[in-house]
Amino acid sequence: MQYLVGARSATIRFGDFTAVDRVDLEVGSGEVVGLLGANGAGKTTLIRMLLGLLIPTRGSVSLFGGRPSRATRRRLGYVPQSLGLYDDLTVGENWAFTTAAFGIAESTLPESVAGYRHELVGDLSLGLKRRLAFAVAFSHDPGLLVLDEPTSGVGPLSSSHLWEDIRASAERGTGVLVTTHNMEEAEQCDRLVVMAEGRVVAAGTLGQVIGDRHVVQVDCADWRGVFAALDGDGLIVQVHGSRLRVPGTPEHVAGLLHRHDLGGDVSAVPANLEEAFVDIVTKASPR
Amino acid sequence: MRAMVIKEFRQLLRDKRTLGLLVGLPVILLVVFGYAANFNVSKIPTVVVGPEAAESAAQLHAPFDVTEVDPVGNRATVESRLQDGKAAVGIVTGQNPVTALMDGTQLFAVQAAKGAFARMAQADVATGGKIPVIAPEVLYNPDLKTSWIMIPGLTGLILLFIGTLITSLGIVRERQAGTIEQLAVMPFRPWDVIFGKILPYLLLASLDLIAIVLLGMGLFGVPFVGSVVTFGIGALLFLLVTLGMGVLISTVSQNQGQAIQLAIMFVVPQILLSGLIFPVGAMAAGVRWIAYVLPLTYFVDISRGVMLKAEPIAGLWVPLVVLLGMAGAVLGLAVLRFRRDLAPSARHRGEDDFEPVAAAA
Amino acid sequence: MTWGLEGGTVTFGAKTAVDDVTLQVTPGSVTVVVGGDGAGKSTLLRALVGLVRLSGGRAQRPGKQAIGYIPATAGLYVDLTVEENLAFVARAYGVSGSDCRTRSEELLERIGLTETRSRLGGQLSGGMQRKLAVAMALLHRPELLVLDEPTTGVDPVSRAELWRLLSGAAAEGTGVVVATTYVDEANRGSTVLLMDQGKTIAAGSPSDIIGAVPGTMGVVRGSDRPPGQSWRWGTSWRVWAPADDLPDGAEPVAPTFADAVMVAALASQQVV
Repeated sequence: MQYLVGARSATIRFGDFTAVDRVDLEVGSGEVVGLLGANGAGKTTLIRMLLGLLIPTRGSVSLFGGRPSRATRRRLGYVPQSLGLYDDLTVGENWAFTTAAFGIAESTLPESVAGYRHELVGDLSLGLKRRLAFAVAFSHDPGLLVLDEPTSGVGPLSSSHLWEDIRASAERGTGVLVTTHNMEEAEQCDRLVVMAEGRVVAAGTLGQVIGDRHVVQVDCADWRGVFAALDGDGLIVQVHGSRLRVPGTPEHVAGLLHRHDLGGDVSAVPANLEEAFVDIVTKASPR
Repeated sequence: MRAMVIKEFRQLLRDKRTLGLLVGLPVILLVVFGYAANFNVSKIPTVVVGPEAAESAAQLHAPFDVTEVDPVGNRATVESRLQDGKAAVGIVTGQNPVTALMDGTQLFAVQAAKGAFARMAQADVATGGKIPVIAPEVLYNPDLKTSWIMIPGLTGLILLFIGTLITSLGIVRERQAGTIEQLAVMPFRPWDVIFGKILPYLLLASLDLIAIVLLGMGLFGVPFVGSVVTFGIGALLFLLVTLGMGVLISTVSQNQGQAIQLAIMFVVPQILLSGLIFPVGAMAAGVRWIAYVLPLTYFVDISRGVMLKAEPIAGLWVPLVVLLGMAGAVLGLAVLRFRRDLAPSARHRGEDDFEPVAAAA
Repeated sequence: MTWGLEGGTVTFGAKTAVDDVTLQVTPGSVTVVVGGDGAGKSTLLRALVGLVRLSGGRAQRPGKQAIGYIPATAGLYVDLTVEENLAFVARAYGVSGSDCRTRSEELLERIGLTETRSRLGGQLSGGMQRKLAVAMALLHRPELLVLDEPTTGVDPVSRAELWRLLSGAAAEGTGVVVATTYVDEANRGSTVLLMDQGKTIAAGSPSDIIGAVPGTMGVVRGSDRPPGQSWRWGTSWRVWAPADDLPDGAEPVAPTFADAVMVAALASQQVV
């Protein structure tokens, strides 16, 4: 697979502080890669390096086969969290600005946002703004798209439209790198990369990242009592309705319940992505 | 680059507040420096007393504007008029030499008067010496020191800045951070929040005021001959106006930038048109009314009057009452608007929804 | 005693932000309000705590002393320290000195900020700020805790910790209402309210909502959009047929909660 962007053992240090530590990352043509990590894990610094805004202290970064430069940046599409749109310009004017900046001779507004040509961006709903931001990033037919939390805050219908746009572009050969905190969004990606403390601590498909982690599910009548008991014992209990999920083994949890004289059915169930993520990240950075 | 230029223009044309400033500011400055900024007082309110009052009055032409002729009055009468600010110059006839008492707090009027007397004397010599010798005497600010008349006005400027600019920024900061909403849900009454917010600025402004006055007295020898109580009342009323303005500005601003723009539009005209720098009497009649709409104008009157002339409350009742009215209006409006932010459902208790249940504790 | 809104409607001029929505909050449980931007979640919550007036319907809420509310924007003072923030709310709610101290300690420990108590609010990370805001809202042991998008933009680790705090509050008897845009968080609640454009598009427990999905769900692989109602999921398409008529090539599957949300959203769009 032809890699569009790749980092090899890339390290970025600011004085004493290592923001990115020997990271390997590639995004190939037609792939949608999800980048997850806690805040401060180094995601933003890594992205800036991939965009060519920072030079690695050690290791290398390649963008479209060469060092990131102004020319290669033309083939990149980037949508930051803040969208990079001007609220006080209309949809048409924002489009005109970007296409002019990228030197695209003539272009028509894509169908998804064409109906709103004369509306001020500031008056649009968030879902529409995101679609517009995406369309703008995609306007110059980039080989690589970098999207920062593309569906954050957006409703289910808008979110599905956005992901259709993203998938469609991937199917045309664009490589897409998505950073996200949203588990549902992460599940849409072909591959995941998990960062903590500047390092890559897990990578692979969803199944590979979760591995064979399991948590204990407790079904009981008195969830509050069980919660108080297990929480008091120092376990991190997640509540889903009236069902509890706790890390550990069924035997251990059953034992604790017995000690507190509480009833409940315990069983081992596969961990979900969030639980796996918390497990990976906390193991990687013991506090 | 062309794309950048086009974009900036489009954005600028939509930004009404900045456009307003771009157009409005030059116009204001033009009006001010064209019509209002004038050190030449062309009409000096004058009172003439004493046995030869009528004849003397007849001999006084422009710039003197004789407003009162009192044959029975004497020096004390004139002093009282000057102290109350009813006249800038008072001629006491019936003695030799005739005394011209002048209000030293009206620096430029006094200079104009002195110049006029000198011209009269010269003309008189030329025509044969009919006008009696005039002995000028400057009261209250005998050396005609600029610092003496500026510093009392500066105290007002400080109160203006703290009251309006800093208060509005303080409140808007909270609005920007989103914490005002929470205050509305906590067990605060709207009064708690409003006065809780204003009080620190009130105290700060008061301390600053005392500091400036003391510094003025210490460094520049500015006297403080009047009643501290009168000064205090005037300062308090003026402060209430400016604080109210600060709160009002905060209720119509979404962020600190907007608050600063509005505060500037309120403060700058007052610096130039309140008599702080350019005497109100020298302003062209068409623009002089602006001075009378500005609160600082009245406070400058009060602080100069009290510090330099020991003007009694009776003489200052006009500015004091005006400030009281302004304070009531501005604060009232500000509180009303602020309450709307803080307690939208409170007013309609019983009308539709609220069913308070006492806390179980 | 349940808190909530019954047939709540909020209009701002010509715009209806909340349209006949019923929300129920039972003490000791978590109710999650899910919806995208503009769905009306914020307005609904603000109507619940009394920040906006209802144009129709009724609201039931305890007195201000027993409510804890955190707006979508942080909700703490960035130029006060962690301790000072807690002291402010303690004073505002009349929590006595010694009670305040014990409660603060307890909460600081739960949120892991005992070591950083003298740090300014503005110096905390986003996740820590949210946790502090929750602690501040819980200090006076409210009966009703209302949070507007507390987890938006927060990293998954902090998000899990926040939910632990909220579940803990529910376990102690507080009625908790949380607004969120993350559909997977709806599962955390015992009751879910799905909103879109001011209206309720589904309500009930998560399993109720899944059970209420009419018709059949199917999966289609490949890159071509299948006919009928469909949306992308990863590299395949989820298809929904109102009756039994899945398109050719579709593999029937049991609907997931995410499917239920999409179906409800699509159904409400069609009615409009």
